[in-house]
Formats: sequence, C-alpha cells, structure tokens
Amino acid sequence: MDMFNVYEVFIQKDHGSPHVWVGSVDAGSPDDALLLARENFLRRDPAVSIWVVRQEQVHRTDYEDRDFFARETDKTYRMLTGYNKVNAEKWRKYKKNLLDLEKDFVKD
Amino acid sequence: MTHEERLAQFMARIERGEKIESTDWMPDEYRITLVKFMQMHALSEVMGALPEKEWVPKAPTLARKLSLMAKVQDEMGHGQLILRVAEDLAKPLGKSREELVGELLTGVCKFHNVFHMPAPTWADAGIIGWLVDGAAVVSQAALLDSSYGPYARVLQRVCAEEGFHIQHGESICLALAEGTPEQRQMLQEALNRWWESLLLFFGPADTNSASATILMKYRFRTKTNEELRQKFFDKYVPRIWSLGLTIPDPDFRWNEAAQRWHYTQPDWTKLKAIARNEGPLSQYRLGLRRMSYEQTKWVREALLGKAGAGAIA
Repeated sequence: MDMFNVYEVFIQKDHGSPHVWVGSVDAGSPDDALLLARENFLRRDPAVSIWVVRQEQVHRTDYEDRDFFARETDKTYRMLTGYNKVNAEKWRKYKKNLLDLEKDFVKD
Repeated sequence: MTHEERLAQFMARIERGEKIESTDWMPDEYRITLVKFMQMHALSEVMGALPEKEWVPKAPTLARKLSLMAKVQDEMGHGQLILRVAEDLAKPLGKSREELVGELLTGVCKFHNVFHMPAPTWADAGIIGWLVDGAAVVSQAALLDSSYGPYARVLQRVCAEEGFHIQHGESICLALAEGTPEQRQMLQEALNRWWESLLLFFGPADTNSASATILMKYRFRTKTNEELRQKFFDKYVPRIWSLGLTIPDPDFRWNEAAQRWHYTQPDWTKLKAIARNEGPLSQYRLGLRRMSYEQTKWVREALLGKAGAGAIA
C-alpha cells in the first residue's frame, strides 16, 4: 500500500554554484517530487535547477567506516597553508631590495 | 559486539558531541523517544497553522493577507520537513508516515498545548506571530545543537523561517500599539489572553517525565523547561514593556537576588486537560484537521496512482 517514494532533493541556486543537497520529499512520481521540492525548499530563495533522486539510488559511505576517510599523513603539502607562511618570511628579506629597485625605476 | 558494547560506544559518541544519523546503530530507547518527539513537533506545526488560518479571510489589508498566507504555508512546510525526518527514523520500527499522521486523530499523538487556544481578534494573530512564535524559536534554537543530525539540519531552515514569522507578528503588534486607543486595548486584551498560554508553553519547571529525562540523557535537548522560559522572558519582557503593554501578573518582576524572573504559576491542571485533548478548542481543531484529511484523501490516492503507474511502466 505504501507506494510513495522518498526523493532526495538537490538545489542549484545559480549557474555559478553546484547543486546542494537540502533534504527530501515523499512523492508518487519524479514530476511530483520536483513540484514538492519547489514548494518545500524554494518558497523564498531563487534557484535555477532542482534535481530529485530516489533515495535507494543513492550510494553512500558508512559513517562508522572512519578508515575510508583516514588522514594519517600530513596533508599540508597540498594546502595553501603549507607554503604561504614560509614564502612570506622569505619575501620579507627581498622586500627592501624590491622597494629600492622601484625607487630607482621611478627616478628614471 | 555485544549490545552493552554498542551502547557504550553510542554514548561515547553522544558525549563527544557527535551527531547521530538515521542509518547509524542506535538504542531503541533513542529511536522511539525521538520518533515520538519529532512526530509531535511535525503535527504541531500543522495544527499551529489552524489558529492563524482563521484570520486569512479576515485580514485587514491585502498585504497582511499575503504575509499571513505565507506564514500558514511555512508551518505546513515545516510539518512536511520534520515528518520526513521522523519517517526515516520510524521505518525500522515498522511505522509508516500514514500511521505517524493518523495518530494525531486517534489522540495517541498530542499537539502542542498552545494550539488548543482560541484566537478571537486580529491582535491574537499578531500576538501568536510575535510571542508564540518567539517562544517556539527560543525552544527550537535550543535544539539546533541536538544530537540527532537530520533533525538539527531541518531545524536550521525552520528557525530561519520562524524569524520571518516573528517579524511579521511584530509588525502587526507595532501597528496596533501605535494605533487608536481601541487598537491598543485590543492588543492588551490579546496579551492578557495569551500570557498564561505562554507560560504553559514551556511546560512545568520540575518536570521529570520519562521522555524528558531520556531526551536529556542523549543530549537531544540540553536545556530545561525553566531555562527556556527564563530565556523567553529575558528577550520579550523588555519589548512588551517598551510598547507600554502591561503583563497581566501583578507579581511579575525581576528577582535581582536570584537573577531570574519571578512569575505567578499558571494553572498547570490546564496542561493535563489539554494533553487529553480537552482544551478550549482541542476538539474543534482536531475536527478541522480530520475534515481536511478526509477531503484531501482523493489527492493522496491520485498521487499514489501515479506512483503505481510508474512502477508498471
């Protein structure tokens, strides 16, 4: 008897943004799900696109499987923070020279 | 892993402040109590639309009518969102959405005590938006940090929209407060009518109910009824006074020594009557809900029909 399906809802607020999951709705068809998603999640906010996906079609990781997200190794070599502090210190040494050069350049 | 080990692990997660998700293992006690709480919250949102919807056809201007309709729609939307979250949690218990919704009409599921009260004037619509929704935001904002992730996430949207309701209610009350002597009096009378309900709203201070204890234990909620009531006073009493309104309790005052508001206790027996659906408008509003549920049955069936057709195709 229970024939409504759960659809997960993803909304894209503008073309520059990704679709973002906002919640889910119960609906009898994908078309109804899109309509209900608009009524539930877009009563105020503008948007350019909605995706609905049947809940059982979503493949997911297990929250308890922490190993899947393991971060034992140092990741700073992949990040901005791994470089900008040392770079800034080095640049400071060159800063005075740089300013002098600019001064000479203006003089010419 | 034994049940005890799983439970210990679960409690450790709660104590670390981690969020529980619908697909995680959880003790039945957590699941059952949360389903009940969220079911009541969802259906209270739906029932909460009824006292105000009475004022949609009678709103004094088109602008007021539009904003009131938007608010009524929001409350229904909140009911939908919270029911959806409750539904995921209830599924392993073999309980469907249909049953969750139906239990309101059989009296198994209660709806919030504040929605059993009449709203006889336009000022009541204002007071509901300003102070009843104000009280709702105080209690819901305290749950934004709830241990149950899906509910905490839905509440972010609910609280944001309730913020709009409060502004809308404030707007009505401010207009009346700045209006004719008759309008001011209407506002004062509405406050007088709702004051006791606003105290009852948060429940008794010394509640030790089984479900409240369980909700605290699992950090689904962390604030007591009295803490929330005092918070509500902190925020709204100065505003009420600044409009020149009188709080209908001669003993109401700030107790400097205790650093808390002193108030005359409301008649708590009224809460018991309301819990049996014997409040002033309990049966009337349940009747409205029953009628609307029956009248829209064909819509649900038509939508189900489409689901069936989709399955065949």
